[in-house]
Amino acid sequence: MTNPAEHAITVDRLTKRYGSLVAVNDVSFTVSKGEVFSFLGPNGAGKTTTVEIIETIRKPTSGTVSVLGMDVTKNKFAIVPRIGVLPQAFNSFDRLTVRETLQYYSRLFSCRNPDIDGLIALVNLKDKTRDYYKNLSGGLRQRLGIAIALVNNPEIVFLDEPTTGLDPRARREVWEVLQGLKQQGKTVFLTTHYMEEAELLADTVAIISKGRLIAMGSPSALIESNAKYLALTLQIADDTVFGALSEMGYEPTRDHPNTLKVRVKDANDVQTILRALKDKGTPLLDLDVRKPNLEEVFLKLTGEAHPESHAVEGRAT
Amino acid sequence: MNLRAVGATLVVNILSFCREKTAMFFTLAFPIILILVFGSIFKDQDALHYTLHVQDLDSTELSAQLIKNLEQTGRITVATVDAAGDASQYAKDHKLNLVLVIPKNYERSLEERMGSDDLAAFSTLTYIYDPSSTSVDSKMQLLSAVFAEINQRMSGTPTFIRTEATSILAKKYRFIEFFIPGTIAMAVMTASLFGTVNLNTELRQKGVIRKLATTPITRSEWILSNILYQFILAILSTIAMLAVSYAVFDVSLQLNAWLPVILVFEVFTFAGIGMILTRFVKEAQSAAAAANAIMFPMMFLSGSFFPIEMMPGFLQTFARLLPLYYMNEALRSAMVFVDHGATLGYTAVIAGVAAGVFIVGIRVTRWEENA
Repeated sequence: MTNPAEHAITVDRLTKRYGSLVAVNDVSFTVSKGEVFSFLGPNGAGKTTTVEIIETIRKPTSGTVSVLGMDVTKNKFAIVPRIGVLPQAFNSFDRLTVRETLQYYSRLFSCRNPDIDGLIALVNLKDKTRDYYKNLSGGLRQRLGIAIALVNNPEIVFLDEPTTGLDPRARREVWEVLQGLKQQGKTVFLTTHYMEEAELLADTVAIISKGRLIAMGSPSALIESNAKYLALTLQIADDTVFGALSEMGYEPTRDHPNTLKVRVKDANDVQTILRALKDKGTPLLDLDVRKPNLEEVFLKLTGEAHPESHAVEGRAT
Repeated sequence: MNLRAVGATLVVNILSFCREKTAMFFTLAFPIILILVFGSIFKDQDALHYTLHVQDLDSTELSAQLIKNLEQTGRITVATVDAAGDASQYAKDHKLNLVLVIPKNYERSLEERMGSDDLAAFSTLTYIYDPSSTSVDSKMQLLSAVFAEINQRMSGTPTFIRTEATSILAKKYRFIEFFIPGTIAMAVMTASLFGTVNLNTELRQKGVIRKLATTPITRSEWILSNILYQFILAILSTIAMLAVSYAVFDVSLQLNAWLPVILVFEVFTFAGIGMILTRFVKEAQSAAAAANAIMFPMMFLSGSFFPIEMMPGFLQTFARLLPLYYMNEALRSAMVFVDHGATLGYTAVIAGVAAGVFIVGIRVTRWEENA
């Protein structure tokens, strides 16, 4: 049991209703100071509603939320200077340069001696300081958004889907920035639906589905407790393997015409399958055995296809 | 109140405005173009001087004298139309709205009247004109006045009924001087209404407002900075319009402390209406359409461009319900008539409307998402 004083965020029985729709349903969790907390969920699961309540933008229907020991419904102006926020689908003033934008936000926070150059260097925007926001690419905009979220040197940084819509290279650039924040000891509340991102960056992962918190723990603990199997992938030359595996009591799935996936309990199962296929003279082109990842845990818990494959850039509730 | 946040937001708005050429054009250049165009039209109307095409079918000494008399009015320059041609066709071919035809035997008829006292003798001059032209009536009125004067002189008796015009104003004003206050009121209304609607809907749609809600700036500070921004634009736009009016048309308008006072209340009124619109119309395009729906009737019915007395009675009553009417009248009372009592009355009405609309605007403006 952690000491409440060590909690950056405490959410207790939080519920948010919009008419008859329950967007967030009796959700409770805590975020420790200095950890990267990743909030996962499919689109419409209630991620953004929850995070916007914590950020003091929305009011809860019931339950309590405290940030740095203060109730969000009563202490907005004490909380806001101590947090930094990158909202979902971040945007800024089109005709301000990168430097002007950071200067503007630093003035809103009444920052004394803001380290604008340091922030620009942190998010690697040195070559773009005179560029207007409207001329920045998606990745550069997100990096500027992260710099804005840090302009007041916050204790907690909220990043709501910071890499959505970015190409793989831009996404990795943002990850590098987030790893830098982690090294600085900042508490990071990361909302995402990219499992790889959460697995790479997060100390703690919470999964929300249909407004309810369905799992929480470290990525490895979640995998350990929810995915006690190995994923075996077989490249096959003919279709007899599918039937052979089914006869052995396994449940293979077909990814591509020549690729089968099958969940097995342990290494002994792998040996059994390989031996059986060899005995039957069934040729194998290739194979891969690995532990399941967070994505598979997520799919198992939420019962949904990979959200990245049909990621919607609209605003989640 | 964090004045640093207010000032920083004001600077952001001004920088964005200076870098947005379209906004600059419609805020500063468009009203100036309006003044130049309408000012030129009204300038001609104030001192009507035109070229009159005359076909002299008589070609005598007395018909030439008549033409000379027309030119001596100082308001007509005569251009001769070939006597052998068809005057109607000539008018069509040359796109003229008026040709005066002096008939054959004009001199003989005149001599019969003057020399022989033959009261049955007369001469009919013909106006060949385009009735669809809006300016032809005033030209024909001027000609008729000249001919009436000639007839009077020929009768040999002094005029019995004479007229004298006494202006209710301290000095004679030209129409352009009535037009400019209306244009100022219209330009400030447009900038404040559209400025507020565009800024708020665009930033809300883009999510910038949501980001600002996570910073220490409050809704009141944001609104105050926007009001200051709209007021600065109103002052800049007014200075530009007045500078052009003085430089090009040499207008005579009284510039006094009423002007900024009236502009402040106008900005509050239309920024308030803009805030109410953006609360209920979410999309930027719909909000702009709603702003147009409010702005255009007000622009044409409030007496910005022509006196409301030209409109039917029910429309005049309606005009007196529109805030822009009181702004037009307040500015004219202050700048043209220099009637401080009337200005105070109109300004009091505007102040009341501004306070009411602005309070409602603040109350309905959402900053945090409470829904």
